Amino acid sequence: MSFLTPLFMLGALAVAGPLIFHLIRRTTRERTVFSSLMFLRPTPPRLTHRSRLEHLLLLLLRCLALALLALGFARPFLRRTAPTDATPGQARRIAVLVDESASMRRAGLWPEARARVEAVLRKTTPADQVAVYTFGRQVSPLVSFEEWKNALAGERIGLVMSRLAAVNPGWTSTHLGNALISAAEALADADGEKKVPAGPREIVLVSDLQAGSALDSLQAYDWPKGLQLDVQALPARNPTNAGLQLVADSPDADREATPAVRVRVSNAADSVREQFKVGWSRPDGTDFAGAAIDVYVPPGQSRVIAVPVPAGVTGLQKIMLRGDDEDFDNTVYVMPPAKQKLSVLYLGADAADDIHEPLFFLQRAVPDNPHLTVRVVTQAPDAPLAPAIAQEARIYFVTGPMNAATAAELRDQMLAGKTVVFAPKSADAAAALGQLLALPGLGLEDVQPANYAMLAEIDFQHPLFAPFADPRFSDFTKIHVWKYRRVNAAAIPGARILAKFDSGDPALLEIPAGKGRLLALMTGWNPDDSQLAVSSKFVPLLYSILELGGGLASQSTQIVVGDPVPLGDVGTAGEATTVRLPDGTTTTLAAGTQNFTGTLQPGIYEFSTGARMLRVAVNLDPAESRTAPLPADQLERYGAPGPQAAPDPVQAARREALLQGEEAESRQKLWRWFIGATLAVLLFESVLAGWTARRQTRTVNPGGLAS
Amino acid sequence: MIASPQSPGLSSAALVDPRALMGIRNLELRARVVVEGFWKGLHRSPYHGFSVEFTEYRQYTPGDDPRYLDWRVFARSDRYFIKKFEDETNLRCHLLVDQSRSMSFASTGYTKAQYAATLAATLAYFLHLQGDAIGLLTFDQDVREYLPARHRAGHLRQLMFALEKAGGGQATNLTAPVERITGLVRKRGLVAYVSDFLAPIERLEPSLLALTACGHEVTVFQVLDPAELTLNFEKASLFQDIESEQTVYIDPAAARAEYLPRIEAHCAAVRATCQKLGIGYHRLPTDQPLELALFEFVQGRMRRGRLSRPSARSRT
Repeated sequence: MSFLTPLFMLGALAVAGPLIFHLIRRTTRERTVFSSLMFLRPTPPRLTHRSRLEHLLLLLLRCLALALLALGFARPFLRRTAPTDATPGQARRIAVLVDESASMRRAGLWPEARARVEAVLRKTTPADQVAVYTFGRQVSPLVSFEEWKNALAGERIGLVMSRLAAVNPGWTSTHLGNALISAAEALADADGEKKVPAGPREIVLVSDLQAGSALDSLQAYDWPKGLQLDVQALPARNPTNAGLQLVADSPDADREATPAVRVRVSNAADSVREQFKVGWSRPDGTDFAGAAIDVYVPPGQSRVIAVPVPAGVTGLQKIMLRGDDEDFDNTVYVMPPAKQKLSVLYLGADAADDIHEPLFFLQRAVPDNPHLTVRVVTQAPDAPLAPAIAQEARIYFVTGPMNAATAAELRDQMLAGKTVVFAPKSADAAAALGQLLALPGLGLEDVQPANYAMLAEIDFQHPLFAPFADPRFSDFTKIHVWKYRRVNAAAIPGARILAKFDSGDPALLEIPAGKGRLLALMTGWNPDDSQLAVSSKFVPLLYSILELGGGLASQSTQIVVGDPVPLGDVGTAGEATTVRLPDGTTTTLAAGTQNFTGTLQPGIYEFSTGARMLRVAVNLDPAESRTAPLPADQLERYGAPGPQAAPDPVQAARREALLQGEEAESRQKLWRWFIGATLAVLLFESVLAGWTARRQTRTVNPGGLAS
Repeated sequence: MIASPQSPGLSSAALVDPRALMGIRNLELRARVVVEGFWKGLHRSPYHGFSVEFTEYRQYTPGDDPRYLDWRVFARSDRYFIKKFEDETNLRCHLLVDQSRSMSFASTGYTKAQYAATLAATLAYFLHLQGDAIGLLTFDQDVREYLPARHRAGHLRQLMFALEKAGGGQATNLTAPVERITGLVRKRGLVAYVSDFLAPIERLEPSLLALTACGHEVTVFQVLDPAELTLNFEKASLFQDIESEQTVYIDPAAARAEYLPRIEAHCAAVRATCQKLGIGYHRLPTDQPLELALFEFVQGRMRRGRLSRPSARSRT
């Protein structure tokens, strides 16, 4: 017989109680009232002699009841089968995740990580299945389960370590959540395979657990049951780490007397130092080019400073920070965006300063800014169109009739990929529309609503109106339309109505033509036709048209390591693109590649296709600078199984035996018999004690005083 | 019913068994039972007070005290007559009766307090019949009730009523009543002190000395239960002090050898104190007939009266 909780057997020691009580004279319960105790001294209770141990049967019954109770509480069970093999032979499946993000470049972390991985691998048994992954922004397998299984048992650790030796920390951000999910899913996949023993599954995470790790994806993740997470946190040698990030230019940057680049200096929460220097770096990166700026940043805070471009120095691309222990995030690469020039052709005979004409508003809606210059070229509709002008312009605005040659030229450009905005001032322009769309019979009809018309049924899904999709900006009812032109949209093949008037007539149509498109706005924006030009929607709508027409590259956001770089014009040139990486190596992209995805390190990337060149600055993810350790319970808050020590095989065997014992005990429930026997003995004892007491009462003189 | 004679001079037939006596509920009746079987006025007043109860005239004979000549009769009849008065005492007797909780111990079917009350009532009744003024002072740890010494109708009943009141003090203060009576009663008189004296007696002697120094004649009755004198309990048990309610485990068989000498020493100390101060001491186990107590009291007074004032006689 075995016991589940043998410690309760100690309760059997309580049998000493009845023994002692039986040895003590049972006199203490009686009380005698006496007038004064001043002449009496207390007498110590006397033990009767052992030979006078009375009521032996009662004593035995009481001891037996206590012993049975202790046995019952010890939860006995009969081990029917021999205990299963308790040797620690059960195979585990372990996914080792090694952090290779930029923050692992800090001093001493990577060797420590390798040592930890080796220590973990040394604890495995030949039956265990191990896969090793490195992760930063993405998870990449270093050694898969298959490779581990196929390798000889003695060579497995060497295989992993040799591959790990070839890996160095990258420059990417830490997507820890994704990595954990990937590892958990890899273990789950292994579950699905046959021949995989149903042993414990474990993720070993070797990481510096920096605060900048992205854990958001864990929020909605349902962790598989039975999975253990062993976190091997790597302590940083130097706590101080300040980071440098670019801050977007302010819109008023052009008003400043001296050009400056704004950077944010952030200091990790556990930093020791607070005083840093920031300034432009010389091209060789050795020292500051010009005067450095002293910055005071308390730990856990950040400061935004403007670093002025030193006058007379060219070729500056880097801003660096000094005074920090860890320098992996102390450089930002700055590439002043090239000012974009865009040419727009307006076909019309409007006077430039006539406030009743559309041209007046078109010219004023696109003023110069530091990033963009829009040149509006005016062309009389009946004059012959110069091919160079037609070639240069990206978007054509047509408001009235034009001659056939111009229309043919525009149609060619449109078919080649340009955009024509057709906004007729009157129904007379119907012929021009017919020529542009090669639909000769297409007619227009002037409509004058009784009061005014409004825009309705706007397709906010379309890129043109997408910026207005937010309910705060989607109110177009304040734009009153006094006059518009009616067109039969059904007669135009492929026409897509982007907006309608409230009368149901189409207001804005998108008609694809070849590679390009024609946008037909059935009312003018000039005040004689509508209030569109004086509304707040006009300028955004115009920029949307410029963007849609491909003439305006979207405002480039900052690109961090791992982000794809949109190549824009460079990629669409039809030739192979040569990429010059920051480390000086070059690579070639196939023609037609739209995005470059190989941004593995920060620096300036040069893309060149023929005569076109694009220079892009790629920087470190700002989150990598937050190197303070994550709160200890952060992973558990996201539902992770919790950092647990790897189970000791002997303990596991013990636990297994305990589990089996619990199962057997709960099935057999022998404790019930013991408790029942205890109750029976106690009942018998009560009856016997009562009988004994009655017999004594009969035989013994109950009087307290001597007669 | 009849107790065994314990004192020479009293026939056993005259004595009433205290157990039977205590069966009488009325305290006054109890006192009367005792006194009626024992009537003998033997004491005298220590004072030469003026009597008021006129009895007769007697012709003067030479040798009589000329102070008592009735000059008014001489003026009317030109004869010498002497006024003769009834011999009346103006003895003031105070009974100090212990009503502390220790007096409520009983092993004989009635408590020490009941016995003491009966004793006090007997003395009061006896003295009242003699025309003496009786006062009462009951006490426990403090003085509970005080009735000044009077001889008037109804006073005796009031006194009986006070004696029948239940006591209840937590402790016994033996000196407080003595000091109080010393302070209250300036005139010399008789003081009967009834208690079990089961309390520290260190300060008893000075207070009794003060009382006797005032000229009072003091008699002490120590009322004790027979069980207190013999500790004749059988079983060992937790003994609870009736006053302090403190409990102590006592095995009487083992404790008796030590207890008996100590209680005897205590009683001897009380007796020695009394003898030293010329105070009459009577130890009264509650199983002793009350007549014996009364007899000893009267006998003691006679003896003391003879010793102290051998020439004192009744006046004419």
